[in-house]
Amino acid sequence: MYKGREGQWAFYLHRLSGLAILAYFLLHVISISLFVFGEKIYMAVHGGYDFILFRLGLIAIAGGVMYHAMNGLRIIVMDFTGKGVAYQRQLWYGVLLISIVWTVYVAIKVLPRVAAGV
Amino acid sequence: MNINVKILRFDPEKDRKQHWETYQVEASPGDRVLDVINHVKWYIDPSLTFRRSCAHGICGSDAMLINGRNRLACKTLLQDVVKDGGTITAEPIRGLKVEKDLLVDMEPFFDAYRSIMPYFINDNPAPAAERLQSPEDAERMDHGSNCILCACCTTSCPIFWVNGSYIGPAAIVQAHRFIFDTRDAATQQRLNVMNQNTGVWRCRTAYNCTEACPRDIPITQLIEEVKRAVMYQQA
Repeated sequence: MYKGREGQWAFYLHRLSGLAILAYFLLHVISISLFVFGEKIYMAVHGGYDFILFRLGLIAIAGGVMYHAMNGLRIIVMDFTGKGVAYQRQLWYGVLLISIVWTVYVAIKVLPRVAAGV
Repeated sequence: MNINVKILRFDPEKDRKQHWETYQVEASPGDRVLDVINHVKWYIDPSLTFRRSCAHGICGSDAMLINGRNRLACKTLLQDVVKDGGTITAEPIRGLKVEKDLLVDMEPFFDAYRSIMPYFINDNPAPAAERLQSPEDAERMDHGSNCILCACCTTSCPIFWVNGSYIGPAAIVQAHRFIFDTRDAATQQRLNVMNQNTGVWRCRTAYNCTEACPRDIPITQLIEEVKRAVMYQQA
């Protein structure tokens, strides 16, 4: 692995979270559209989403969306201002902080419900 | 101090793929990485192949991947990358075809360089003396004209590794040098090259180029300036 610094990891995480969001949206659109085949098939597929990995995955998706959105703002600042490039490292640590705080918040909200099986 | 020099070797006549070889070398902390690689070639294994020329950080021949980062072997001191008894690794720069050991085919890199027309273009008749420029205008080219075409930046770029048709940071830095030269008249043509789908928009701002540049050129900053120049000329 090339020993790049913050910028490299910001880029890799942006790609990874982007792909995760794309996969989530595709799954979402496909499973919602199953309603055209009737309620029975729709419910059969959606019942599968009660599986624990899907429920925990939702926390990861929430974190990924926040990271992608915040890093997107960082990229806009970098693309339009010289200051953004000069402070890209600090901006990235800000992005990480917001993403982590948000993910922890979502986990606190969601985990008790997962544990209770609601 | 005693160090291990671990080099990623490849002989196209014998090897199917690259493999690591380690050599024990005695050196002092103030030696450069190039010195120990030269030692390996001169006293241990003369078949070791790599480029070097001036050995003083100007010709840009000995760019290699040292301890996981692109650097010039002649500008990297051992004390900055290894301790006594430690190991340094040297690999060929990535994204270009390895011809032998640390030597890669630089032709695609120079093709990209040529594509940005890296020469002064102005068909207006030259004045009797010089084409004058203010000191402020000349400063715009300070960073770009520092480039020595070593390829440290282009071959540290994650986009270039997977998409060899990307023109790469080095060519964009060179383009920047002419685009922002007030005496040059081919700005439009160069911005058009930058606007192609192999051009400046492939940059995803991973900053590896800026970290790798042995001339301390703020490469990502220059690339962003070119992006803005392309965008605003279209608006």
